[in-house]
Amino acid sequence: MELQFTDFLYRDNVLWIAAFTLGGLAFALGPIAIVYLLMPRGTRQFENRNKQFIECGMPPIGDSWVRYGVVFFLYALIFLAFDVDVLFLFPVALAYNNEMFAYRDFVEVVIFVGILSLAIVYAWIKGVFKWERKTYLHQ
Amino acid sequence: MSLTLLNVIVAVVIAIAFAAANAAYLVWAERRGAARIQRRPGPNINGPFGLLQPPLDGIKLMTKQLMIPGGADKILFMVAPVLAMAPAIMSFVTIPFSEGIAAHNMELGVLVIFAFASMGAMAILFAGWGSRNKYSVMASVRAVSQNVSYEIPMLITAITVVMTTGSMDLKMISMAQSGGFWHWNIFPSLQSPLMPISFIIFFICSLAETNRAPFDLGEAESELVAGFHTEYGSMGFGLFFMGEYANIVIGASLTTILFLGGWDCPFGMFPGVWWFLLKIYLLIATFIWIRWTFPRTTIYGLLNLSWKILIPISLFNLLLTAGLLKVF
Repeated sequence: MELQFTDFLYRDNVLWIAAFTLGGLAFALGPIAIVYLLMPRGTRQFENRNKQFIECGMPPIGDSWVRYGVVFFLYALIFLAFDVDVLFLFPVALAYNNEMFAYRDFVEVVIFVGILSLAIVYAWIKGVFKWERKTYLHQ
Repeated sequence: MSLTLLNVIVAVVIAIAFAAANAAYLVWAERRGAARIQRRPGPNINGPFGLLQPPLDGIKLMTKQLMIPGGADKILFMVAPVLAMAPAIMSFVTIPFSEGIAAHNMELGVLVIFAFASMGAMAILFAGWGSRNKYSVMASVRAVSQNVSYEIPMLITAITVVMTTGSMDLKMISMAQSGGFWHWNIFPSLQSPLMPISFIIFFICSLAETNRAPFDLGEAESELVAGFHTEYGSMGFGLFFMGEYANIVIGASLTTILFLGGWDCPFGMFPGVWWFLLKIYLLIATFIWIRWTFPRTTIYGLLNLSWKILIPISLFNLLLTAGLLKVF
């Protein structure tokens, strides 16, 4: 038998989330629309300066889209390794302690979490969590 | 289940009204609380106890010029405040306020809320990078690494709760804790003796996820002017502000449902929505109290707290719970 749209398992969930998404967007875009209706168009003073970035009164020196410390990127990398794996634990947690697994599910969770925590151990040994002032050759 | 258009519209409007009222008056509560803690008056001129301050602030923000700095990424700059506000409203879709008061109950409620909550990091990244301001770029990089670091212990403790309850449905999780405070997840049970520590981890993570002091490295005023929203004036700033408070409400609700028994009364009398509201406002008062009591941490201390302490403890807790669930 072919599934109709009305038989779709998560139809209600999808419709509710879509409705709340629209509501959220309306609530977020509404104030911005009101601002565009009410705001003053021009500024009397500093006409040519008001597009400048805030640098506490000084003219900005250099661009701000530059390379920054790689440490933050390393944290993002371990997060990526971790978070995707942690998501796999949700279905496991739901099905956990089912009679038909006996002790197999516990052993598998231990193996999975053990391998997962190797990511932290690796990063720890590699010195990701150490924040030292790094010196570069060209400076 | 009947799904009429009217139902949906009423639910959306109620969620928006609840979020907006909370956002407006939590700002007032926060400022009054800060003033009380620091022994100064706070907003007390407009209306009784300064209660007219939030609407007046709203009018002021709405009539200010919305400026986009030259050279900024215009699309990212305008998308960011919308992304900060909209997911907070979207999360209300599945939060049960009481047994009968919920927009729509989902089997995957926990996952839905975490999915929406993780959009906040994107809003901060867009805002900081799109502004093309040095302070904003620095703040956004900090805030994103902080948000992603604290998402993991939060997820792992949530998994521990899901494992003991056997359901991802927020309503089922609440119902499983009904019947007096000794059934609540915050108290240790035979299956998971470390639950109080789980609660503390979850609470710390929700503080860090909402970028609240002492973890407000993303908008550290003394170092970064205003952090990722330095360049935002007018309602762009207003949306970030409202989004922050709406997210606090979501975080407090989630903590209440997962650990404090949802709408359950501690003594088994009159379960209902008022207990839920009482619990979330107590949690929010604790949020405010912590913000004005503790000094800001450093960024490396903050990130290492998550990776060196919270994540190992929560992983250990997960394994312990998994093992004890087999024994008992």
